Amino acid sequence: QSAPPPRPAKVNDREAPAEVSAEKMTGRPDRELELDSKVEIVRGTTTVTSDHAKYRIVEDEIEATGNVRMKRIDDIYTGDKLKLNMDAGEGFVTNPTYRLERNNGQGKATRIDFESEDRATVVDGTYSTCEGPNPDWYLKSGTLNLDTARDIGLAKSTVVYFKGVPILAAPAMSFPLSDARKSGVLPPTIGATNRGGLEVTVPYYFNIAPNRDLTLYPKVIAQRGLQLGAWARYLDPMYAGETKIEGLLKDKLTGTDRWALSSIHTQTLRPGLTLNWNINAASDDDYPTDFSRTLTTATQRLLLRDLSLTYGAAYWSATARTTNYQVLQDPVAPIARPYDRLPQLTLTTARPDVAGFDLAADADLTRFWHPTLQRGDRLFVNPKVSYPIIEPGFFITPKLAFHATRYQLDNTVTGVNGAPSRALPTASLDGGMVFERDTSLLGKALTQTLEPRLFYVYTPYRDQSLLPNFDSALADLSFTQLFSENRFVGNDRISDANQVTAAVTSRFLEASGEERARIAIGQRYYFSEQRVTLGPLANDSRSDLLLSANGRLNQALSAETNLQYSQTQHVLNRANIGVRYQPAPMRVLNLQYRQDLPNNLEKSFDVSGQWPFAQRWYGVGRVNYSLTTSKVAEGLLGVEYKADCWVFRIVGQRTPTSTLQATSALYFQLELNGLSKLGSNPLQALRASVPGYQNINQSNTNRP
Amino acid sequence: CGFRLRGSNGEANLPFKTMVLGFGDTSPLGAELRRNIRANGTAVITDRKLADASLDVLSETREKVILSLNSAGRVREFTLYYKFRFQVVDNTGKQLLAPTDIILKREISFNESAVLAKEAEEGLLYRDMQSDLVQQILRRLAALKPAT
Repeated sequence: QSAPPPRPAKVNDREAPAEVSAEKMTGRPDRELELDSKVEIVRGTTTVTSDHAKYRIVEDEIEATGNVRMKRIDDIYTGDKLKLNMDAGEGFVTNPTYRLERNNGQGKATRIDFESEDRATVVDGTYSTCEGPNPDWYLKSGTLNLDTARDIGLAKSTVVYFKGVPILAAPAMSFPLSDARKSGVLPPTIGATNRGGLEVTVPYYFNIAPNRDLTLYPKVIAQRGLQLGAWARYLDPMYAGETKIEGLLKDKLTGTDRWALSSIHTQTLRPGLTLNWNINAASDDDYPTDFSRTLTTATQRLLLRDLSLTYGAAYWSATARTTNYQVLQDPVAPIARPYDRLPQLTLTTARPDVAGFDLAADADLTRFWHPTLQRGDRLFVNPKVSYPIIEPGFFITPKLAFHATRYQLDNTVTGVNGAPSRALPTASLDGGMVFERDTSLLGKALTQTLEPRLFYVYTPYRDQSLLPNFDSALADLSFTQLFSENRFVGNDRISDANQVTAAVTSRFLEASGEERARIAIGQRYYFSEQRVTLGPLANDSRSDLLLSANGRLNQALSAETNLQYSQTQHVLNRANIGVRYQPAPMRVLNLQYRQDLPNNLEKSFDVSGQWPFAQRWYGVGRVNYSLTTSKVAEGLLGVEYKADCWVFRIVGQRTPTSTLQATSALYFQLELNGLSKLGSNPLQALRASVPGYQNINQSNTNRP
Repeated sequence: CGFRLRGSNGEANLPFKTMVLGFGDTSPLGAELRRNIRANGTAVITDRKLADASLDVLSETREKVILSLNSAGRVREFTLYYKFRFQVVDNTGKQLLAPTDIILKREISFNESAVLAKEAEEGLLYRDMQSDLVQQILRRLAALKPAT
C-alpha cells in the first residue's frame, strides 16, 4: 500500500497576521474586536467562519457563535460555539460535527476539545466513514482521541453500531485515520465448522515498525475452547522471517493441549555466512483434520524441520544442514516416513569461463537415518566440465561429468557388502538454434521464434540394484527433465543413457521483448535398453511425447495446455488444460482439467471464479470435482456485498482433510471500512481457492 | 517461411556497450545472466557511472503453492513460482525500463514417500526457470533503446 500524501507543513509563524473580515466590526483595534455577520478569520491553515465572533488580539483568541465552521488544514468542524486560541490551536467547540479529510471519518458530539493543531478529543461522540446523517455503521464513544499527526484514532468505552444495532463493545479500541498500516482490530470472523462448532475470531494487528508487525488472533471455538494464535513478521537488512504459532490448552473434546508452529528465518551472521531455519510442528496427527483452516501448511502431513548454515564466496559455497520430518499419520492411508539427514554436508564449486571452459564440482556427505529402514552414510563427488559456445543465433555445449559415490551402511547382513561404491562418467552434447520472423496476432505485430534443440547423453550402465535408495525417485517427465542427464532425481540412482532429446519451441514476443505465448514439442529417443530402474523394467525406444502451449490471446483471455502422450501405449498419460478469462478487475473465471496417470492422480475438473452478479453483489466459487471418485474434493461458495462504507461476506467451504474426513465450514464477516485498513483479506480461503481473486474492498492494484 | 537465424541482421545484440548487473557476488542468476550478456558482446562492469545501463534487481522470490489435493486431503501437486522484478537505468539515473515483473512457474507432482527426491526435483525446476528467466531478461534488454 502506498503511503498517504504528506500533509501541508504546519504553519508555525507566530508573526503571521490573522486576517479578519466581517460586515460589521467594532471594538478597540489593538485589543479586542467584536465581529458580526459573515465573519471570517484566517490564520495560517486555520479558517473560522461564523455569525458572530469576538477576537482578543493580544491573547490571539477567538470566541465564535452562530453557524460556526472551522477548517483546520483540510479537516472541517462545525458547531454552535467555538473558543480557540489561534496560536496554540487549543480550545473547544460545542454541539459539533466533524469531518476528517484523509479518510472521510466523520461524526457528531456534544463537545470537541482541541489540544493542539493536530490533536482533538471528541466527547460523547460518534465516528463513521459513511456519508450522510444516518450512517450504516458508527462508533459511539465516551471519548475519542483523534491524532491526525500520527493518523490514529483511539476510542474509549465504545460501542459499534451497525444498522442501528449494537454489535461490538470495547473498553478501548484504536483505528487508523488514513490508508497507512496502523495497529487496530481487524474485521472479526464468525463461523461454524463440523469439527468444532461455532467459532469467533477477533484478530488484532500491531504495526510495530514499517518492517515488522504482529497479528494476534484469539479464536473461541465453542466445542473446544479458546485458541490463541500469533503471527509475527520481520524484515531487516541482516535477517528476515516469520513465525506463526497457535495453541489451545485442554481441548474440551480431546482433553489434550493442541498446538502448531511454523517458523522460517534467514540471517546473515557475517558476510557470506547465512543461517536458515524452517521449522514446522504440530501437537498430534489429527491436527490438520481438526484445525485445518488455521495454518495453510497444516494441509500437509509432512512437517519439515530444516536447519542449515551456509558459507558462500564467489566461486564456492559450503552448507551444513540437518533435516527431519514430523509425519502426521492418516491411519487409513499410512505415510512412509522419509529419511532424516543428520547431517548433510555439501560443497559446491563453480568457476565459469576459464579460457572458455565452465568448471564445477559438487561434493556431498550425508548421514541418512531412519528408525526402521537401512541406515548409512553416503559420500559423492560430481565434477563437471563444459565448453559452452553461445551466439545470438545458436549454442553448442559439450560437457563431461563424473559421478563417484561410496556408501558406508550400518548393520548389514553377513555376505552383503557394507561399503558399496559406484563410479560413472557421463558425456553430453547440447545444441540449439534460434530463428526469428515477423508476424502478427490479432492485428498486433509480434516476433515469432523457432528454436530447435538436440541433447545427446551417454552414460554407461552400472548395476545399482544392490545400492540403498535414500533419496532417489523417477522424475516427472517435463521439458526440464528431457534436458537433464539423469532420468532420476536424487543421487542413489544414475540412469544408464544412450539417448537423444529433440525439441522445438516457438515463442511469440512483443516489441518490448515480453513473451506473449509459447508452443513446444519434445521427445527423448533411447538407443539402448534402460537397465537402471526403480520399480518396473523399462525398455522403450522413446519417451512419452510432450506438448505444451500457453499464452495470452488478448488482455482478458489466457490459456495453458500441457500434454504427455505415450505413443507405444496410445494413452494420454498426463494432461492439464486450463483457461482463464479476466476481462476486468474482480471478474475472473478459471476452468481447468487435470489428469496424471503415472502419479495416480485423480482426474479432476476445477472451476473457479469471481463475478459480480448484481449491483454491489459479487459471487465467488470453486469446485474441484474428482472424476475418478465422483466426489467434490474441494468446494467453496461465497457471496460478497460491497456497500459504500462496509463489506459483508458469507463463505461456505468444504476441504478434505484425511481419507475419511472433510471439514465443512461456514463463515461470516463484516468489514467496516476505516476501522481497519490492511492489504490482506482475512478470509484467505478466497485468495487461495480462486486464482485471480481480488478483494472487492480494494479498487485496483491487488494483483494475484 | 520467413525465418532467419537470430542475430544475422545484428538486431539481437544488446543496445549497450557496458552494463552493471545489480546481483550479489554469489547469485546463480547473476552469474548465468553475466555469461549470456558477455556472449552478446556487452562488457559487464561494476561502476554505475561508467555503464551505459544498470540492471537493478528489485526483488527475486521463490514461492511454492499447493496446486491440488486429492479427495483424501493430501497434497498431490505444487506450483513453483520464480518471480523476478527489475528495472534498467542509465548512468544519469534515467529509467530505460520501468520496473518489470517476469513470473515463471512449473508444476510438480508430490508424493510423501519420495519427499527427498521431490526436493531435488524442485532444485532442478528452479535451475531451469533460472535459464528461462535469463533468456527473457535478455529479450527485454535487447528491445530497449539507449538514452540519446
